[in-house]
Amino acid sequence: MRKGKNNRLVLLGIALVSMVVLLCLISFIYLPHDPNNMNTLDRLHRPSGEYFLGTDQFGRDILSRIMVSTRYALLVGLVSVSVGASIGVVIGSIGGIAKGVLQSVIMRIIDGFMAFPGMLLALMLVAVTGKGLWNSVLAIAIFMIPTYARLAYSLVIDQKNELYIKAAKSYGATPLRIIGKHILPSMLPKLITQFSSSIGGAILLESSLSFLGLGVQPPNASLGLMLSESRQFTLSYPYLAIPSGIVLVIAILGFNLIGDALNDYTVGRRTSA
Amino acid sequence: MVKYTINRLLSGVVVLFVISWITFFVLTVIPGDAALLSLGTDATPERLEALRESMGLNQPWYERYFSWLTHFLAGDWGNSLFFGEEVLTLIMQRLMITVSLAVFSLLLAIPVAAIIGILSAIYQDKWIDRLARTVMQLGDAIPQFWLALIFLVFFSGKLGWFPVPGFIPVEEGWWRSIQSLLLPSIVVAIGLVGYLIRIIRSSMLSALEQDFMLMTRVNGLSSAQAVFKYALRSAVIAPVTTILMQLAGLLAGTVLVESIFALPGVGRLLLVAVEQRDVILLQGTVMFITGVVVCVNFLADILYRVINPMIQFGGERNA
Amino acid sequence: MSSKLMEVRGLTIKDSSGTVLVENVSLELNDKEFVGIVGESGSGKSLTTQAILNVLPKSLQAEYKQLALMDRSVEGLDAAQIRALVGREIGFVPQNTVSFLHPLIKIKHQIGDAYMRHMKKSRKDAYAKACRLLSKVGIKDPDRVMNAYPFQISGGMKQRVNIALALMTDPKAIIADEPTTALDTVIQRQVMDLFDTMNRLEGVPILFISHDLNIIRRYCSRVYVMYKGKLVESGSTELVFSQPKHPYTRQLLDSTMTIK
Repeated sequence: MRKGKNNRLVLLGIALVSMVVLLCLISFIYLPHDPNNMNTLDRLHRPSGEYFLGTDQFGRDILSRIMVSTRYALLVGLVSVSVGASIGVVIGSIGGIAKGVLQSVIMRIIDGFMAFPGMLLALMLVAVTGKGLWNSVLAIAIFMIPTYARLAYSLVIDQKNELYIKAAKSYGATPLRIIGKHILPSMLPKLITQFSSSIGGAILLESSLSFLGLGVQPPNASLGLMLSESRQFTLSYPYLAIPSGIVLVIAILGFNLIGDALNDYTVGRRTSA
Repeated sequence: MVKYTINRLLSGVVVLFVISWITFFVLTVIPGDAALLSLGTDATPERLEALRESMGLNQPWYERYFSWLTHFLAGDWGNSLFFGEEVLTLIMQRLMITVSLAVFSLLLAIPVAAIIGILSAIYQDKWIDRLARTVMQLGDAIPQFWLALIFLVFFSGKLGWFPVPGFIPVEEGWWRSIQSLLLPSIVVAIGLVGYLIRIIRSSMLSALEQDFMLMTRVNGLSSAQAVFKYALRSAVIAPVTTILMQLAGLLAGTVLVESIFALPGVGRLLLVAVEQRDVILLQGTVMFITGVVVCVNFLADILYRVINPMIQFGGERNA
Repeated sequence: MSSKLMEVRGLTIKDSSGTVLVENVSLELNDKEFVGIVGESGSGKSLTTQAILNVLPKSLQAEYKQLALMDRSVEGLDAAQIRALVGREIGFVPQNTVSFLHPLIKIKHQIGDAYMRHMKKSRKDAYAKACRLLSKVGIKDPDRVMNAYPFQISGGMKQRVNIALALMTDPKAIIADEPTTALDTVIQRQVMDLFDTMNRLEGVPILFISHDLNIIRRYCSRVYVMYKGKLVESGSTELVFSQPKHPYTRQLLDSTMTIK
């Protein structure tokens, strides 16, 4: 029974992610309207045959803007997490293999990064790098590093004591070779699990930065930015906050569900939900 | 216990130093020219040079770091470039609002999360547990700013239950002041509930698996006694410390809500510092928030030992 | 003639996937008896007693043709009534390796809970009775132990507290599940002598679970041998040990012989 329920949640996650990916892929082939075209005659248009999800305060087609936004959401999610995870794994692995002073220096620095709560680190980085899409990708990537460094570190420490690693060492394998050949493959399941959950977190963070006006810049469309731009109009026309918000929740929920399912699969379902 | 406390204290101090170094490095070394970063490219060369001089940018970075650190430790956090006032004063003026917001949201979130978390562990896989897991998933997936926006439109705009965004100072009446913080607190609380349920539920689940639960059954104790006296006793420890740590983290976790509800708190100050690239203000605010987080984590760690006599006496493996 | 304090017929236990863990076990405990169940770990002896006590983990399912406690069938009793009956009339002594007592509650605050509930006594009565029982099981300073947390006392002491806890409600029968495992031989001997005294002097019947043949042989009058979830042999200890019929019993006996 539990297994069945779990499977249903994975399917839901996959379905949600597929919806977002599909919106993104279609946006490259077909868009109902130019997402940045301001049609002043059609401002705040209700959903209709012409504008499937209506238009915003500048008369831009909401569906087209959402479709273009999913590109950014997925781009930021994939790129920032990939970059952050790669760097994090390298740092964490070095920390795990290194001895003495080097090890404690690396780990203390990671501890320091981990002590920044929530989006504080990302905000600080954006202040330095400046607003914009790529700068927020960079900030989110750096934001991800400590998590992966910690994960890789603990996995390496676990593995280091395993017999086969000791055996490999005894016939003189170099540390790099040990990581590549032995440790990395055994880390993969946990890394993939963390990866999926991180993408949800990265999309959330990107939308938050864009909402604050620090991420994707107008006139481009991003889910967070669309919500931010709609703020003055939501009191008179609340509908504006609905479509982009729902797509955002779908994207985050989808990746989180897949991440949780992978986690249950690798760790075994006990106390986690 | 004393030895442990000293150890934790030392490692807390080390982390604080690392943080100060990271903050300093990110904000004043990476950009190359913090003065240019702060004033923008359209600033006059004279102003730039003056700021460089006052920030000591013409010295090597390690000298700057030590000079900044010694001033910082002495309570001289510098003047905000944007506000022109002392950073520490600016933070203190706004601290009350953010702390109130954090405390209110925890007060709202804890009872709800405790009830759902405990029941979902006792009735694992029943409807209440499914509800709890749905709340956890949605809590993770719904962006706080979107929730804030929707609540603002619906409860404040359509229904008129709450005042319009903005903070009403205490001088204009206690109740009105609290009211102005209520809706933002609810939004923050909803975000917290999912997280807290997760902690409470898993802590309770592991308590229910303990051997002493067999004892309560063999001895025919009532379910209420088994749950409230025995299971809760061990389940409560982990969440208490987690909640403390959450409280500290909320100092930086209310940026979005403060921005949407126009509350002049520490989060807003942080945002202004980021938007204005006010390096000195940002440095001070970041150091303040992370400093509080590290201190609270230290206290939570010690508290964990105090409320858990088993670790306190070092007798875990006495059996 | 003698009354049956515990009796189970045709007990089968399955887990959620339907795997049979205990199959068609029947056993009984009569008045004044000291009965042993012997078998290796995983043979289902603990599960059998948990089924009798109605405290199997939720994930396991027990079926039986008949289950009687204190000479009365549990058929028609609801879960709460069975629980009260077991709590009042049967004392359970666990393995001393488990933290049967709550680690974060002082002993005085938990030893009397069942007593107060089932016998409708006050906290003061419970304290007095607990001290009496603690002295009886050989604890010289009951007050100190009562005010300690379980992890502050030694393993042997803890097991005596567990026994005292089991005796609080003046149970009509005792089930002890490997109570001496992980105790050193001197304390093991003391604990076993305690059980023996209770049985011989006060006539308290004891169902004693162990994998230790030497203990079973020394103290038990009757024995059940379990192997892979089945009852393979039963009878008087003397008979079973002198003329073992089942190959497993023989193997068990041989192995202890060689150790000796």
